[in-house]
Amino acid sequence: MGCSNSSSPAYGEMSWFCCGSSWGPCGSAGGGACGTCNSGSHQCAWPNTSDACFNITRPDQCGEGLARRTCGHVFYVTSVCSGKCVSVSIADCGPDTNSFCGERSCCGSTCYTNRIIDLTPSAYSAIADLSTGLSPARIDS
Amino acid sequence: MVEWPASVQPLFVGATLLWSGGVKCAGASARRAAQRSALRSLVGEARAPIAHRLVGAAELALAAALLLPPVYAGEAVAAAVLATGFLAYLAYARVVAPDSSCGCMSARPMPVTWRGFARAALILAAALLGTRAGPWWDAATGHPWAAGTTLLGEAAALVALSPEADRRWLYPLRRLRVRLRHPLADRSFDMPLESSLQQLLGSTAYRQVSGLLRSGLRETWDEEDVRVLCYTAEYEGRLATAVFAVPLRHYRPEEIRVALVDESAESTLLVLDGA
Amino acid sequence: MPQPDRRRFLTSAVLGGSAVAGATALGSLAPEAAFAAAPKIKLDPGALDPNFAEGRITGISGSLLKASGSDRTLHRIHITDGTSIWKLHPTTFDQIKVGDGFYARGVRLPDGSLAADAIWVNIVNLDASIAAIETARLHLDHNGKRVIGHVVGGRTAAVYGSAPAVADLTRLQVGRHVKVIGAWRPDTNEVDIATVYSGA
Repeated sequence: MGCSNSSSPAYGEMSWFCCGSSWGPCGSAGGGACGTCNSGSHQCAWPNTSDACFNITRPDQCGEGLARRTCGHVFYVTSVCSGKCVSVSIADCGPDTNSFCGERSCCGSTCYTNRIIDLTPSAYSAIADLSTGLSPARIDS
Repeated sequence: MVEWPASVQPLFVGATLLWSGGVKCAGASARRAAQRSALRSLVGEARAPIAHRLVGAAELALAAALLLPPVYAGEAVAAAVLATGFLAYLAYARVVAPDSSCGCMSARPMPVTWRGFARAALILAAALLGTRAGPWWDAATGHPWAAGTTLLGEAAALVALSPEADRRWLYPLRRLRVRLRHPLADRSFDMPLESSLQQLLGSTAYRQVSGLLRSGLRETWDEEDVRVLCYTAEYEGRLATAVFAVPLRHYRPEEIRVALVDESAESTLLVLDGA
Repeated sequence: MPQPDRRRFLTSAVLGGSAVAGATALGSLAPEAAFAAAPKIKLDPGALDPNFAEGRITGISGSLLKASGSDRTLHRIHITDGTSIWKLHPTTFDQIKVGDGFYARGVRLPDGSLAADAIWVNIVNLDASIAAIETARLHLDHNGKRVIGHVVGGRTAAVYGSAPAVADLTRLQVGRHVKVIGAWRPDTNEVDIATVYSGA
């Protein structure tokens, strides 16, 4: 599999988060649920990495049937705005999908709902501008 | 002679434990609260929900003992031991898992702050005072006004020290203050840069050249009815400036144009409209 | 070229003259083709990205930034005329100060330095809830810590739901979850807010 070519992609909002050693308000972010998270690596946080993770993020409460994917699983994330794609491996649990149920991001007339993935700054900046906080994305497994 | 202030303490401590234990045992999101709490690092991820419920069950049992007759000094001692345990847990959470939630009196994520420590200290002080308690119903009938006022004061202190209750009283007060004082009122009608960027990202012109862009937004300025946005691009093997013209007064992404310009040669390489 | 002349030239380049109807006349740059041609980032997932750097700036020498990564890696970052610099908004090199935090993306050169295409200075992305609103500032609860978010006149924008960004912040409410993109004030718990995203 690869960018934009799986039969059952997920569509939703992506954002970015810092983890590992960092500065500023990110300073205490730590290595994430998998213990390997690092802002400089192409990694992501996924809301369904374990039962404990799912119980916190509860994407199902927003109508999202996101599959269980564990630490190290690889996703291909394509920015709807730029068309650029990056491969990332799961390193943390998140985002907290059910805190933002119904939230929507658009690129032109293409809008996707619910926050379903967070990328590290290195991964996000490869496909979008960090100064955009939220962006619609397609996620292939 | 039994002091009436001591005798009402089992009521206060019992009601507090009833609230706290009820949230841990009966709350729909009790499991989530446990997973977010410092119990996760204290007893392990798998055991956290069980430990959370056991603490809740102990709180409920003690609440029942405190609120129902007969009155034993041991009940207040047990409550004091539990409150000391709360303080120790909070200290552990603060040191070992500072990003964890308190998991104390609400399923909502609540950081461990000085208010949590002060609340546990209040419960400990009340429980210690309660070790000298006689039947609370005697105090209630003998000194109804004084006992009622004391309990109300303690309840108010408990609520004030509980971030879990902020949404019920503090936030509405703050919202009211915002409505009355309008601290963020701004009469500016300027189009924010973010709005122009949203328009740009949704345009055909941007999609046509997005694969060529190397930088983020480099520079922007307004020119009458358009906002000009510049990026660095790579076109046919050489660096160029991608210059976008975005309507400033209207949301019309289809009208956005882009030019690829070689600034060093002062030549325009390509101009595209969004049609 | 002096800055006013340069801007006039760039403005006339995009507004003057006739444009090619890109989607039809320039097949190679039609949207779908452009997306297909968009670079696939070739890097093992999970691997450290050599073309990315982050950390705190420790020195500035000409157009070279010296920096210390959060993992104590030392970085040298070249800023050129083609580098985009974000510090609350697109800005210029002279606004970068020693002590600033940053994320940078570019091309790693053979000597180990990074030629930056883009650098984001002090940028933070906070998921928070609004604890209080005061004149020109928001009190934010972020991961259990209080962060003061300053509203900057003419800069701060709000996005409500999926509506276009506006300068009007009066629809923000105490108790609401928000996402804040802002510029950290180094070594404080304060940020200047660029964009605050709130539910509708």
